[in-house]
Amino acid sequence: MDLFAVAFYVFAILIIGSAAIMVFSRNIVHSAFALMFTLAGVAVFYALLYAGFVAVTQLLVYVGGILVLILFGVMLTTRGYFEKVRTRTVNLVPSTIFAAIIGLMLIAVYVTTEWTLMPLEDGEVTLTGLGELLLTDFMLPFQVAGVLLLLCIIGAVLMAARTRHPHPPAGKSSQEGPGGPSYGEGTGRS
Amino acid sequence: MESANELLTILPLIIIGAAGLFVMMLDAFTGSARLAYLATILFSAAALAVAVSDLFGPMGESFHGLITYGGTSSFGMVLVMTGTLFSVILSRDYLEKTGMHIAEVYSMILFAAFGMLLLVSSNNLVTLFLGIETMSISLYVLAGLVKNHKKSVEAALKYFLLGAFATGFLLYGIALLYGASGSTFLVDIAATEDKGMIYWAGVGLLLVGFFFKISAVPFHMWTPDVYQGAPTTITAFMATASKAAAFVAFILVLSRALPDARADWSDVIWLFALLTMVVGNILALVQDNVKRMLAYSSIAHAGYIMIGLAAGTDAAYSAVLFYLFAYTLMNIGAFGIVAYYEWHKGYDFTEVSNYSGLGFKQPIMGVLMSVFLFSMVGIPPFAGFIGKYRVFAAAVDEGLISLVIVGVLASAASVYYYLRVLVHLFMKESENGIVLSRPGTLYTASLLILAALTIFFGINPGVLTDLLGSFWTVQY
Repeated sequence: MDLFAVAFYVFAILIIGSAAIMVFSRNIVHSAFALMFTLAGVAVFYALLYAGFVAVTQLLVYVGGILVLILFGVMLTTRGYFEKVRTRTVNLVPSTIFAAIIGLMLIAVYVTTEWTLMPLEDGEVTLTGLGELLLTDFMLPFQVAGVLLLLCIIGAVLMAARTRHPHPPAGKSSQEGPGGPSYGEGTGRS
Repeated sequence: MESANELLTILPLIIIGAAGLFVMMLDAFTGSARLAYLATILFSAAALAVAVSDLFGPMGESFHGLITYGGTSSFGMVLVMTGTLFSVILSRDYLEKTGMHIAEVYSMILFAAFGMLLLVSSNNLVTLFLGIETMSISLYVLAGLVKNHKKSVEAALKYFLLGAFATGFLLYGIALLYGASGSTFLVDIAATEDKGMIYWAGVGLLLVGFFFKISAVPFHMWTPDVYQGAPTTITAFMATASKAAAFVAFILVLSRALPDARADWSDVIWLFALLTMVVGNILALVQDNVKRMLAYSSIAHAGYIMIGLAAGTDAAYSAVLFYLFAYTLMNIGAFGIVAYYEWHKGYDFTEVSNYSGLGFKQPIMGVLMSVFLFSMVGIPPFAGFIGKYRVFAAAVDEGLISLVIVGVLASAASVYYYLRVLVHLFMKESENGIVLSRPGTLYTASLLILAALTIFFGINPGVLTDLLGSFWTVQY
């Protein structure tokens, strides 16, 4: 058994195991963390197949983006502590039947398909070329993308910050609760 | 050194990008909206000056073909910077009077202008996309500036959701065109030989993305809500600079990436131009809110401009550029006056009936409003007339007579809703004993400059039209 196969099986077990934890866990935060291992394991698979760019994208978008989004969603939508967020199983019988049918179909497809096995090629690492292009021919878009991300952050802060209430509706008192909005000229900044 | 010279070809872009970052830091360390305003004015004026001088400079490509400079692009930069500079000048008084004056506004406006400048000089779909996104994201934030006003928040959310959707279309179109041609460079796309289903699907989706940005019917739904909900001077910025940038980029794509397919997209644009003019004008007729009316009027103007795109000749493109210039001048002017009336009473003071009798209270503002509205109608001594005339004439040369007839009829109908504002200003008795204060000197001066330019280019369009005509004869 070569190193590739070892890596493959280790990470396959990791993916399936953490996916199982993710599904069966009763705590949504635990599920989210288990999902992180699944997604990262898939990224390793891509890397093993010399698809470096896809692996990095998988890490950035799924582990870095989607997962953080889920955790933020949990954090912002619950009032109390994470432990209170629990998942529960509903519609046990129909969902089992449905899942079994899907599973059987997938197995049937797997068995009946005539797979052609391609030898793994030691392809060149695409990331090098990509990186070189980004810092030479496509330098300008690369820089502009930096500005774009910066302005996204500033824009998000500007939209989300609730400290400024520059234009009070006349005759209405504060509905913002304690702390209250500060009214008047040039508010918010000191 | 070659790379330094390349930087000079996009000097306005670099000035505005640096200005955006500088103003942001200025805000962080001093928190002074006044300083931010002054810095923004200085940088915008510098960028405008450079863009104007570039008009007479050479044309070409830089950054490995990603950027096109000179000619149409420089004129696009002039349009964008004119829109930005005047919007910024008008913004300060308006935002101060309505209590929304925060320094971040200026860095956001500068970043939006940065995106627009990249958009008008992009020679590649990647830079084009980055330009559109930089512009749009800044505009979403600017639209929702008044966070405790429902209309403003609604505007920002609607604009953001629909804008994100349109971005998806645009990106899909770019991806498919890349798949069909193997390149994102406009010239390489023009050279595509295998024009299969993928190619046409890509072209179609790209057109949808652009139609959204120029708010052509039926992709116009966001326009009235956003234009009404956003702070008025920000609306002026959106209606002029961003629309002009999108149109210039549209011209670049149509003339460089898809010149061979002209016969095909010309029919598509023909249809959308017709719809845009008719729907925009009819809906403008029934609006009672001046900002909403101006929003529908901007949709109608997009329809007239699209007649020029449908014609698709060099003469038509230069006519469109002239129209965009006239449109920028008169629209910023009109929104500037709406902003002026608005700050006396509050955020919703934009119903046409509110304007009763206001014309004589500050005659200079009333007269300026008349100038801008008459120019929008397309009445002879003003630039709006020349713009319409040249676009229609170029279309007639290409045999689009039925479309031009609809355009002329539609603009005749538009007289009603433009003049309705003037009737209220000058011929009705004032109902609410509102006292108009004198606007600031700079505010009045910039509106006067806009009006003077509107009249100057209406009487003496040759200065500009000769220049615009020269872009196309040199290039092809």
